[in-house]
Amino acid sequence: MGTLWRSQEMGRAKLFVPSEVSYEVVSALGDIGLVQFIDANPDLNAFQRKFVNEVRRCDEMERKLRFFESEIEKLKLEINGAEEAASMPAPDMKGMHSMEAEFDRLEREMKEINNNEQVLKKQNLELTELHEILNRTAMFFDEAESATAALSADTADSSNTPLLEADERSGQLAFVTGVIARERVPGFERLLWRACRGNVFLRRVPIDEPVHDPTTGDEIHKEVFIVFYQGEQLGNRVKKICEGYDATIYPCPNLPSKRRELREGVKTRILDLQNVLHRTEDHRRHVLSTIAFKLGGWIVQVKKIKAIFHTMNKFNVDGTRKSLIAEVWYPLARVDEIQHALRVGTSRAGSDMQAILNDIPHDSKPPTAYFTTKFTRGFQSIVDAYGVATYREVNPGPFTIITFPFLFAVMFGDLGHGFLMMLVALMLVLKEKSLKNFDGGEIWDTMFNGRYIILLMGLFSMYTGFVYNDIFSKALSFGSGWSISEEEIPMNITGSATLELRAPYLDLNGTLHNGDLRHAYAFGIDPMWQVSENKLTFTNSYKMKLSVILGVLQMLFGVVLSLFNHRFFKKSLRIWHEFIPQTLFLSCIFGYLVICILYKWSTPLDDFPNQSAPSLLIMLINMFLRFGLPPPKEQVLYGDKEGNLQGKVQMALVVIAVVCVPWMLLTRPLILRSRQKRREREAEARVRAGMLQGSDDDHDDGHGDEEHSFGEMMVHQAIHTIEFCLGCISNTASYLRLWALSLAHAQLSEVLWDMVLHNGFTSWYLLFCAFAVWAVLTIGVLLIMEGLSAFLHALRLHWVEFQNKFYDGNGYLFTPFHFERVLKGQDDDAA
Amino acid sequence: MAEMTFNMDDGYFEGLVRGFKGGLLTRGDYANLSQCETLEDLKLHLATTQYGNFLSNEPSPLAVSTIDAKLKERMVSEFQHLRKQAVQPLAKFLDYISYGYMIDNIILLITGILHERDVAELIPKCHPLGVFPELKTLSIANTTEELYNSVLVDTPLAPYFLECVTRQDLDELNIEIIRNTLYRAYIEDFYKFCKSIGGATEDVMCEILAFEADRRAFNITINSFGTELTKEDRMKLYPRVGRLYPAGLKMLADCSDYEEVVRVAEYYAEYRPMFDTGAATPGEKTLEDKFFEYEAKLNIKAFMQQFQYGVFYAFVKLKEQEGRNIVWISECIAQKNKSKIDNYVNLID
Repeated sequence: MGTLWRSQEMGRAKLFVPSEVSYEVVSALGDIGLVQFIDANPDLNAFQRKFVNEVRRCDEMERKLRFFESEIEKLKLEINGAEEAASMPAPDMKGMHSMEAEFDRLEREMKEINNNEQVLKKQNLELTELHEILNRTAMFFDEAESATAALSADTADSSNTPLLEADERSGQLAFVTGVIARERVPGFERLLWRACRGNVFLRRVPIDEPVHDPTTGDEIHKEVFIVFYQGEQLGNRVKKICEGYDATIYPCPNLPSKRRELREGVKTRILDLQNVLHRTEDHRRHVLSTIAFKLGGWIVQVKKIKAIFHTMNKFNVDGTRKSLIAEVWYPLARVDEIQHALRVGTSRAGSDMQAILNDIPHDSKPPTAYFTTKFTRGFQSIVDAYGVATYREVNPGPFTIITFPFLFAVMFGDLGHGFLMMLVALMLVLKEKSLKNFDGGEIWDTMFNGRYIILLMGLFSMYTGFVYNDIFSKALSFGSGWSISEEEIPMNITGSATLELRAPYLDLNGTLHNGDLRHAYAFGIDPMWQVSENKLTFTNSYKMKLSVILGVLQMLFGVVLSLFNHRFFKKSLRIWHEFIPQTLFLSCIFGYLVICILYKWSTPLDDFPNQSAPSLLIMLINMFLRFGLPPPKEQVLYGDKEGNLQGKVQMALVVIAVVCVPWMLLTRPLILRSRQKRREREAEARVRAGMLQGSDDDHDDGHGDEEHSFGEMMVHQAIHTIEFCLGCISNTASYLRLWALSLAHAQLSEVLWDMVLHNGFTSWYLLFCAFAVWAVLTIGVLLIMEGLSAFLHALRLHWVEFQNKFYDGNGYLFTPFHFERVLKGQDDDAA
Repeated sequence: MAEMTFNMDDGYFEGLVRGFKGGLLTRGDYANLSQCETLEDLKLHLATTQYGNFLSNEPSPLAVSTIDAKLKERMVSEFQHLRKQAVQPLAKFLDYISYGYMIDNIILLITGILHERDVAELIPKCHPLGVFPELKTLSIANTTEELYNSVLVDTPLAPYFLECVTRQDLDELNIEIIRNTLYRAYIEDFYKFCKSIGGATEDVMCEILAFEADRRAFNITINSFGTELTKEDRMKLYPRVGRLYPAGLKMLADCSDYEEVVRVAEYYAEYRPMFDTGAATPGEKTLEDKFFEYEAKLNIKAFMQQFQYGVFYAFVKLKEQEGRNIVWISECIAQKNKSKIDNYVNLID
């Protein structure tokens, strides 16, 4: 609580670092993460800074590492070493040099291997394609031969037909064989036909196995083709078209015997080549796996080095004394650790030149820093999501730890649902070490980071579930305080009495017709209400009043917190003319209502002056509408029967509340104005007295930010006043969402029980199905959807209704230079 | 009406393209870029802009050509992302944008082949937006007729090509005529297409295309002085959709020196300032730069209207201009000649 109550006190200091130890010092500071560096040269471009060459070297190293990574990913090897390197300090400059050299060597080696492999693969591809061509075209040639044979067997009487003409000249028919990608075939064919005016003959056969592109490794489906043509000119044209369509042309001997010979030769060459290829691949895998073993660590180390140089780029260079100067923010409470880190840094560099941290006066707004634990972090982030606290103002974070889960639970009150939620969160909490590195996407991260919030939400829901006596819409009974005789239970009920028990109308006084209240139930709501006819009337009234009480208390608490702010920032005017009227206004109207609620709850009907319980809502309205008159007879809550006492008390309260409005609205601006006037008069008097010199400066500091024109101040105060007064009413109404959501939740769970699960009680297999449906709906709708909606409403109640009473939220977060943040990618500067 | 239904099909793409536009470099970025001493500095600075790490996997030392290629690759990948998902008529509109690049590529290849350069060597120089499957086979044609019949007949450019089909062999002048005829047909067709879409697209695109047409007309006129192109032929090359059409084009066709062109431009308020001082004084912006500047202004203006396709065209052109700017600055840095480094066209203030 101590550290969260207000943000850390920050100091602004100049850090003088001798340039030869600067790298090590910054590195040591990055390990502890307690110092925020302020950019000393915001006007300089990235490439004009001092350490731009070092940053560039890091970029180059990262490029090489990315190259290794992509190569390793292709082989699907595991990358190791990241965690180890994250906990180690960043390598020193010498380490950086040796890393650079090693990366360079490895990159050259990898490139060489890749080139070799590519050449081999290309050869392999060519040979395979040639092999395919020889295989496939053999078929065409065989066909052609058999056709020739058939033709020659035929009589030569139709010798003037073009077909035979071609046949006669078949000796002159030339051909081109090659391989082309399948998707380019249609265009190829069309163009071939068109460009050669149909004077070519194309046959093609697909290759069954896809081949691999040697550079990208993609699969390509190809086809073998053979084009027969006549004449040199046409041949050139065909070859050009082949080139245009990226077809690879392979020479194919004319004679069948030669073809066979070539085929055999190609076969053996393929076998040889594949042997070599395998060996190269093994070598490559070996090299890559050694790289993969260290790559994770390298990536982390290079990131750290780069972050250090990025930070050093924010330093100013002191030309004469050969040192670097940075301006920093740091939490005063941790100065010892920082000094220690500075010493560690210098000793690492092996130098006796000490880095010096020198506090300087400043007038800029310090950042807001908290030291959170894994438990408080989630709650603090709820507050920060609305707005980071102004430096040193009261932080709603620590209260949120309790009030947030509590308000959530008021809306989510169900023992069973709370228990399930608690179990889930408990699992996350107990296994947090192993789950920390689990990558489950954004939704998972949100849930995992909020595990302690969920845990508390679950626990508090169990508590309110006990109070509401509600477990999956049923009640637990430890002996009801009501006694109801057998015959009073209506008998129009079917089924077993235990399940279908319906109690008759219960009267709050426990005396009227059919119930008899013997004693108060031990804790929470009596289970008999759960089965009574007028359950809803009872719980509605109870929950509605409860929400008003909780709401008014929380708002009042918020107003009280503003007192701490005013006192801390020494704004006495605000205490007298803002805090006090606000408290009076709130308590005179709504505080009074709360007291009336509590009084009415604790008073038996007979003890009311007129033996009738008044409606408190009407009473509150009448306080204003029937101002000055005593309440009507049936409306008297306390005091004498005529309501004279109550009337007078209420009159007084209204008067106080109404007076508070102009008090809030006018006094502070008027007082400030008169002060300002007086100062002006004094200044004038001094001018007349000839004491002009320097007098203005003395006074300006005194009133600081309150130096505004009167009109502006007035408008501001008016807005503030109106917001508060109207806010009191609308915010109280807003707290009724506690009741509404709680009601909705209870009703929904009752519907689920009655309409779904209850239908399954007739037979076991129906129960089996009904339970499944019920369980899915309970988790999906009640736990997740309702849970989210209750979470949202609790969030709103905190952000709007609670925090607007005191919270300014105009600060900015302390963003220290920390390797942990850099590695997680949270530090934008050094990314 | 178009406003109501536009977002059903094209809202996502408009959003995307506006997002891309948000990443254009500003005056401040250019000022920083031109302060760079080396290309490494430039890379470092570009990393802080929308370009992010697009150069980070390139080993040092950087070459200007690598930067150029990467810039184009990036632009094309953005364009393809749009094109692949777009539905009609936006898909067609995007195709129209790429036709211009296709024409450029064809002309580049034909010229190269005419000078007996290897096709494989020319292909990397083609703009990746205008690459189509038949492109590499252009070399088989020797006359425009062949070119049309065997290669281009299947491409979307075929109708534009019809006009310049002759049996003549290809030569320098012919190619220029082909280029301009193709462009004329292309611009006129694109203009008609935008008119058929109507609405805000028509308003925005027709203005841009009209300027494009006029710019071509001026350029053709100025470049034709001293060549054997006759005035009648010249007239045929002018795209007939701009503000100059019809009277201005007739006057341009009659021009025989630069002064006369300036006199024609005098009649048009938009074009008068561009010819004001002419390119006569050194150090002044050239006519080309002024055209570029005006084009950039029109393109930026296209983003002022919502629910129209003009933004897509404007985006491609702006990105192209930005690429030219970065390459220009890189060249100046690489050649250590910074005197003219400020001659880029600033797009966004």
